[in-house]
Amino acid sequence: MRSLGLIWLSLRLGVLNALQYRADFFIQLFQSLVGLVTALAAVALVFGQTDELGGWSRDELIALVGVFLLVGGLINVVIRPSMEKLMEGVRLGTLDFTLTKPADAQLLVSVRQVEVWRLIDVALGTVVIVIGIARLGEQVGPERAVAFGLVLVAGVAIIYSFLLILSTLAFWLVRLENILVIFGSMYEAGRWPVGLYPPWLRVALTVVVPVAFAITVPVETLVGRLEPMTLVTTVGLALAFLVGSRWFWKFGLRHYTGASA
Amino acid sequence: MTLRLGRLPAVYAAKFRAEIALQVAYRGALVIWLLGLLIEPIVYLVVWTTVARGQGGQVGGFAAGDFAAYFTILMIVNQLTFTWHFHFFEWRVRNGFFSPMLLRPVHPIHNDVAENLTFKMLTFTVVGPVALFLLATFGATLHPEPWHLIAFVPTLVLAMVLRFLLEWTLALAAFWITRTVALNQAYYVAVLFLSGQVAPLSLFPPAVQAVASVLPFRWMVAFPVETVLGRLAPGEVLAGFGAQLGWIIVSLVLMRVIWRAGIRRYSAVGA
Amino acid sequence: MTLSATRPSIRVTDLRKTYQVPEREGGLRAAAGSILRRTSRSVPAVAGISFEVEPGEIVGFLGPNGAGKTTTLKMLSGLLYPTSGEATALGHVPWRREPDFLRRMTLIMGQRNQLAWDIPVVDSFELNRAIYGVPRDEYAERLKELVELLELGDLVRKPVRNLSLGERMKCEVAGSLLHRPEVLFLDEPTIGLDVTMQRRIRAFIAEYNARTGATTLLTSHYMADVEALCRRVIVIHHGVLLYDGDLAGLVERFSPRKTISIDLEAGQKPPDAGWLAELAGGPDAVVQHSAERLTLRVLRSETAAVTTRLLATLSVRDLVVEEPPIDEVIDLVFAAGPGSDVESERAGATR
Repeated sequence: MRSLGLIWLSLRLGVLNALQYRADFFIQLFQSLVGLVTALAAVALVFGQTDELGGWSRDELIALVGVFLLVGGLINVVIRPSMEKLMEGVRLGTLDFTLTKPADAQLLVSVRQVEVWRLIDVALGTVVIVIGIARLGEQVGPERAVAFGLVLVAGVAIIYSFLLILSTLAFWLVRLENILVIFGSMYEAGRWPVGLYPPWLRVALTVVVPVAFAITVPVETLVGRLEPMTLVTTVGLALAFLVGSRWFWKFGLRHYTGASA
Repeated sequence: MTLRLGRLPAVYAAKFRAEIALQVAYRGALVIWLLGLLIEPIVYLVVWTTVARGQGGQVGGFAAGDFAAYFTILMIVNQLTFTWHFHFFEWRVRNGFFSPMLLRPVHPIHNDVAENLTFKMLTFTVVGPVALFLLATFGATLHPEPWHLIAFVPTLVLAMVLRFLLEWTLALAAFWITRTVALNQAYYVAVLFLSGQVAPLSLFPPAVQAVASVLPFRWMVAFPVETVLGRLAPGEVLAGFGAQLGWIIVSLVLMRVIWRAGIRRYSAVGA
Repeated sequence: MTLSATRPSIRVTDLRKTYQVPEREGGLRAAAGSILRRTSRSVPAVAGISFEVEPGEIVGFLGPNGAGKTTTLKMLSGLLYPTSGEATALGHVPWRREPDFLRRMTLIMGQRNQLAWDIPVVDSFELNRAIYGVPRDEYAERLKELVELLELGDLVRKPVRNLSLGERMKCEVAGSLLHRPEVLFLDEPTIGLDVTMQRRIRAFIAEYNARTGATTLLTSHYMADVEALCRRVIVIHHGVLLYDGDLAGLVERFSPRKTISIDLEAGQKPPDAGWLAELAGGPDAVVQHSAERLTLRVLRSETAAVTTRLLATLSVRDLVVEEPPIDEVIDLVFAAGPGSDVESERAGATR
């Protein structure tokens, strides 16, 4: 219970912090719109030459763009900024302050920083998803909606764990400030259905950088392509990732504080 | 800047040595930037080869093997022409790293040129093998005639010069605008589409292709690729040289003007 | 929870910390080689330190940069695991970072901020309150007390970015004490501050210690911090404890000489250099020798005798006998290293 209260308070502080910069709203709006237009223009270009891409229709791909934006927004609101702040804290030594507090360090660092205007991406993404689904004429009943919600949460949990692992590497590789760029680059590959890629790349996007679970799987759920096994795998993987990343975080802390050589 | 031209080679040699040491020390970060550069062409390669195969072998004059060749060569040309100064100039000015550069008896651009070339030399050692891997894996069809290869070299060099000059000049906007991030993104999107990184320009609607030929972006990246793949007639290649040289001159003039205005403003506003 | 007066608040036994530092030579070949192989060497930051601190003491750790003071402090605040040795603080082993221990201590580092940059200070304080679980009424009371003691006034309502360096430090200090810790670890708290602010912070620390009886450990390389605050000084150099005791004792042990400064009456014959040298105990004991002024550095035991002779022989307008400036003493201590004290000085003096 106390943890929830701390999360709430920390997020509230982060939002207050971010709201200081009103100009950022317009900058983010511009960037999000440009991002949206770019993604849709690429889809239009491709579908100007063909009717289907690897078994996916144009409207399914529009829904994919929507999920791409939505998930991207969710990750960029709290998770990514907090991980960046964590790595900065390692570099500058301000992580020491966090470690002397009587609260779980992973909790504190994970909700440290908020980029509130990234919610624009969440909003835009939702709108695009709705448009895509409507154009498809798909009926999204309560079952599918719940499955979508579940897979979405699981996907975000997997990404969070993955980013935590990357950021924990900063304890050893202090100079790798741009390590999160790896994720950003691989995330770009999620603009298109993961099934398109050759097996070796598909493995990379599923196992090494779990982008597939964050984007392709939720879209599959929405448009009715989901196989039940995939749902189970995704949720199971999310739990495994959460446990694994916490273990790695504690391992990293022990190294940082000199417990292991 | 009063520096005898004769001293420039020695300055560059020293700068290269220092930069190599620096970038090797930060080799981890280099690998990560590299990944970013490589992912994009691979993604579009996969998408377009899928489209080609789905459409019965070819699309807009490009078969799957042609797309593979196009995007792989594009990846190489992009890596050799790309610069980052548009993103980081603002950061440099804001954090006070720019003033010391002004106090040296060498124009700051030389520092950035050396830095840029070193990065490209080091990262090419990875990009080269990756390109070969991609060519093999995706079954690229590459049959360049000798004159394609000979013409490729100057188009590449001119493209490198053009892109560096233009982007460095645009980076000078940092003297006037404190948050250049929106500008950066608009530029990045323009480059993405109009330099042929999303799809070969011949797949665009004719109106867009016309615009692309007037703007400098095609001449920075797509043109060398089109040349070496033999997709242009000799006359078109020569015309392309003209366009490249024209834009280089425009960039040089722009750079001089904006630099002078920028420095005046920088000194007035304070470091 | 009260501690018995006889039990030490902090106990350290043979604490050691050795770092592995990667090293590389300059040049291109070494750079290329380092891609494959990495050499590192062991750096002993703390090489066996033992001491005890009673509750309510203010102890200053003095030493030059890289001496091992910050490393010691980090081990005692739980941030670092030692390579070997033991320590307890408030009955806990610090590096286990038990919540019970963390709630009763605080760490303040000079020039490092934990307060959020863009929001009013008071909002950051709220977060700390929640983290430490301080009840609202106690929190309100303590906040009032700290604002008063530190003369914060309206500062707490401003965002940190609008505060000057000194104001920022005061707010950092306030934020770190809202949970009434029993042990304070201060790492270079006055570094980078102007002289007035340094004095204010020192005064506050002393006042806080007097009011709450909180054990205070602070590291500094400013002599002024230690002089103003600490009855007890621990000198650390090269990771070794050189001295543990009070300041006066430090001066006596490491600086065996006192300075005699004499203003001479005008118009008399200046004393002969050779005679002066013999009297003071060596030619290098004569620091200054002019018609108007003499400065001599004389062994403690000889001071009285030399002074008497000078007064008898010369026409003196003014005479001052001083301890050497403590900074000088510290310089001597740091320059000489372990094993340096009065004995070796004496040995050098009688050549």
